[in-house]
Amino acid sequence: MNQLKGMNFLRNLKMGQRIQLFVFLTVVATYTITGIVLSRFSVINAENTSRNQVSVYINTLQSIVDLQERITKNGIDQTDITALKTHFYKAAFHKTDFPFILSNTGRYLLHITKEDQRIPKDIFVQIASNPNRQGWITVETTQGTEEVYYKYISEYDIYLGITTPYKEIVKDVKQNRFLMILVVTLAIGLFFITVLLIIKPITKTIQQVNDTIKMMALGLEGHKLNREQNDELGQITESLNTLTEGLSRTSHFANELGNNNLNAEFQPLSNEDILGNALISMRNSLKAAEIEEKRRKQEDETRNWITSGLAMFGDILRQNNNNLALLADSVTQNLVNYLNANQGGLFIYNNDDTSNPHLELVSAFAYNRKKFFERTIALNEGLVGTCAVEKNTIYLKEIPDGYITITSGLGEATPTSLLIVPLKLEDTIFGVVEIASFAEFSQHEIEFVEKIGESIASTLFSVKNAIRTTHLLEQSQQQREEMAAQEEEMRQNMEEMQATQEEMARKTIEMEGISKAIDQALIYCELDEDANIFLPNDNLAAAMGYPKHELDGVNLSEIVHISNKKEIAAIRNEIALGAPYKGTLHLINRDGQDLYLHTNISPTFDELGGIYKIILIGQDITESKLLEIKAQKQADEIEANLVEIKAEQQLAQMKENDIKGLLQALDTTCLITEIELSGKITYINNKNVETLGDPKDKIEGKYHRDLDGLAKKSPKEYEAFWNSLLSGISQNRVFSLTVNGIEKWISEHYTPVTDDNGNVTKVINIGFDITDSKEKEKEMQRLIAEIEQLKKNNNK
Amino acid sequence: MNVTDQDLQYFISALKNYTKYDFSDYSDKSLKRRVEKVLADRNLDVTGLITSIKNSQEFAELIVKEITVNTTELFRDPQTWHLLRSRILPRFKNNKNINIWHAGCSTGQEVYSMMILLNEMELFDKAKIFATDLNSDVLDAAKKGQYKYRFNIGYLDNFDKVIKQNPLNYEEFNDVPYDKYFEIDKAKDTITMKKFLTEKPIFRKHDLVKDGNLFFAKFDLILCRNVIIYFNYNLQNNVFELFHSNLYPKGCLLLGMHETILGPWATKFEKIGQAYVKK
Repeated sequence: MNQLKGMNFLRNLKMGQRIQLFVFLTVVATYTITGIVLSRFSVINAENTSRNQVSVYINTLQSIVDLQERITKNGIDQTDITALKTHFYKAAFHKTDFPFILSNTGRYLLHITKEDQRIPKDIFVQIASNPNRQGWITVETTQGTEEVYYKYISEYDIYLGITTPYKEIVKDVKQNRFLMILVVTLAIGLFFITVLLIIKPITKTIQQVNDTIKMMALGLEGHKLNREQNDELGQITESLNTLTEGLSRTSHFANELGNNNLNAEFQPLSNEDILGNALISMRNSLKAAEIEEKRRKQEDETRNWITSGLAMFGDILRQNNNNLALLADSVTQNLVNYLNANQGGLFIYNNDDTSNPHLELVSAFAYNRKKFFERTIALNEGLVGTCAVEKNTIYLKEIPDGYITITSGLGEATPTSLLIVPLKLEDTIFGVVEIASFAEFSQHEIEFVEKIGESIASTLFSVKNAIRTTHLLEQSQQQREEMAAQEEEMRQNMEEMQATQEEMARKTIEMEGISKAIDQALIYCELDEDANIFLPNDNLAAAMGYPKHELDGVNLSEIVHISNKKEIAAIRNEIALGAPYKGTLHLINRDGQDLYLHTNISPTFDELGGIYKIILIGQDITESKLLEIKAQKQADEIEANLVEIKAEQQLAQMKENDIKGLLQALDTTCLITEIELSGKITYINNKNVETLGDPKDKIEGKYHRDLDGLAKKSPKEYEAFWNSLLSGISQNRVFSLTVNGIEKWISEHYTPVTDDNGNVTKVINIGFDITDSKEKEKEMQRLIAEIEQLKKNNNK
Repeated sequence: MNVTDQDLQYFISALKNYTKYDFSDYSDKSLKRRVEKVLADRNLDVTGLITSIKNSQEFAELIVKEITVNTTELFRDPQTWHLLRSRILPRFKNNKNINIWHAGCSTGQEVYSMMILLNEMELFDKAKIFATDLNSDVLDAAKKGQYKYRFNIGYLDNFDKVIKQNPLNYEEFNDVPYDKYFEIDKAKDTITMKKFLTEKPIFRKHDLVKDGNLFFAKFDLILCRNVIIYFNYNLQNNVFELFHSNLYPKGCLLLGMHETILGPWATKFEKIGQAYVKK
């Protein structure tokens, strides 16, 4: 701990103090050691000097002894000793160092004080045992340490010696010691002061340097120090000042750099100024980096501009891709805006007409080119046409006068640059885009337009295709729909025709039935305009008594009763005017007999209202007519009745065409009943209702056999009758029934109607009301009976 | 797809039960063909068709529209129009009003033909035109008065024959321009009737089978051309009765070129050329 404390203490000392301490201790130690060494050397020197002196003294004494001996001879005896006393009784060099002679037994032969005394035995042993027979030994006595020098003199067998007290040997040395210490102390002090004087400014400077360096170590700017010395410290200070200043400049420069002032002035401290050069090279790198950065930024901007432009046009081209005009408008407008240009136009290559391929201005932005009012440009015509043919971009910085102008509110001006880019895709041209601007176009802008041009071309291509496809699709769709509509229309037309045919066929069948019925029930023939008969039926032939062919071509007037001839002419006139004739004709048959026909002569007309044919339908009413005549002859009242009957017997109504005339006549004249094969009555006409009094709904739907009298009276007979009909044989019969208390007589003509195959499909019954004739017959019979009775009575 | 008589009966009764339409007195053969056509078009069988009719009124309505036939054209059968021009319409010259009913007017060409003729005869203002059909789609087309040009170029020949020429006097020629009555747009393939024509007639949906007379009026002229051929004898007679009872005395009924009145109603009419005049 103490050691540590000491270390800490040392460590905490300032440099100056430490140097002072060090110098002080060194000086003290040096001097002390020097003092001690010097003192010791002095002592040893004194001893050696003393010994050498003693040795010389002893030798001198020996010579004296020798001399003495020579005088006296026979060895050392008393006389010698006495003679020698003068020499031995005086101290050699110091106060008490008296020489002695020692016998070989150890008895002092001569000594100032110790004559005859014995030397301590142990000392004598040491002396006697020394082979060199001379030397010295140190002896401790009560008086202090003594050195005993001795020499054996063999001729005399004695020991010469001197005993020197040690004190006396070193007495001088000890006397010098104090002085030495004083001198040393003074020297130390002097030295110390000198050192202090020298060290003080050094430590101060060092302190300052230290402080400055400390500050610098902390990153602060050091103070400028005063140079006080010209020595190394001075140089240090100088260097430190230079360093501080240099650092200050460097840090200022670094600050400037930090503030991005790359153009700040800076002179490196020296050619080898590492930091300065590093900073300068850093500055240069920064500058280079800045330039690079700027360049890259510009490149980035260009790239961004291109990329976002491509993206934007990608979007634009994706939209509107079914409308060429809208697409072109959008493209032109955006292109001009994106390029910050002033006007633009988009031409589409149109080769629909292969003989005249041309460019068509489909969109224009701020376009003001009189030239292009026509909007189409032939290939090779002008710059645009040339561009389309050569398929290369045309970039003009000098625009021909009047080629194009940009109009603004301030007037007109010719643009400074004109860019014409072909819209091509793999060398196929789709159009041309023309852009004019007051600014010049940079290379990347031109490249951009070219690139966009490809996209536009590709889109134009697909849009054109899509539009064509859509158009074709629409066309084919439309055609399909039209075809379908047409087909449906034709189908409906067909259907109508077919329905019409069927209707006509049905009517034909019906009319055939009716004709047959008429043919069988009535007299029928056709007349030409001159009233010549043709196509007479069997009934007419039979009634007239001619074969059919003989009747053919006979004029109606030839077979009528003379009284009717005039009427025939009148009828002819009426018919020619289109009016039907209805009346009773009086004919004369082959046998000259009277034939009365209730006749209906109807003209039928064609579509234009011209007379198509003239049909005569007649009913033989001869029987009733004859009866009528008979009755008339016989009774006026009967005649009167007959007139009524005539009126009632106006049966048939005329027909407006051949069939309808027949039907009309039939309908009004006859009782018509239509019966199904099952016997179900499907239709009765009004005449039927009128005559028989049963309303339609009572009869229609009923079965014939349920209503027929014959069926009730004689089922077997009825069955035979019906079966005959079903097998196609017409049946005639007469029956009577009572209607509202009046007996009616009906002459019925059942005619089976057959279809194309001859199968019976239904039965038509045409009936005639012959009640009047019957009544007249009865009346006549009654009259005849009366007459008979009268005759009888008369006879009686 | 063959449709048997029984199928047809099922179909008719389905319509009768689930819709207001009664086709039971339609001509079997024609109706059968139409049903066959519908089945083929829709790839259905009779059962499927009947099921669909039961399930959906709209579908039933659609089917009715499809089975009815709508054939008509401008001045169809020019001789009929000659008849109208020369012999029928002059009869009404002194009338205060002329009521005309086009029964089964289809897409309306006949109605417009009539109006054009009336206009040429200066009877247009006197005339009141009523037009009916069973099919509301064709009525809509009729109201619109717009027709395909390309398929109907024949119309113009008919127009020329009826309006421009006089068959009784070939030297006479009235150069009436088409655009007096309609506009032809060859690009759009349309013939469009002028507004004064389209706004005149009263168009109504009407079923001859059961709807009677929709209008509170009797008629001087009824045109029902190429309609009764789709009806059987019974329905024909009902229709004749309807027409007869709604004609003024001396009123005219005009049927199609090949249609005639047979049977009981024949005697109620006098025939002038194609036309039937009520006695």
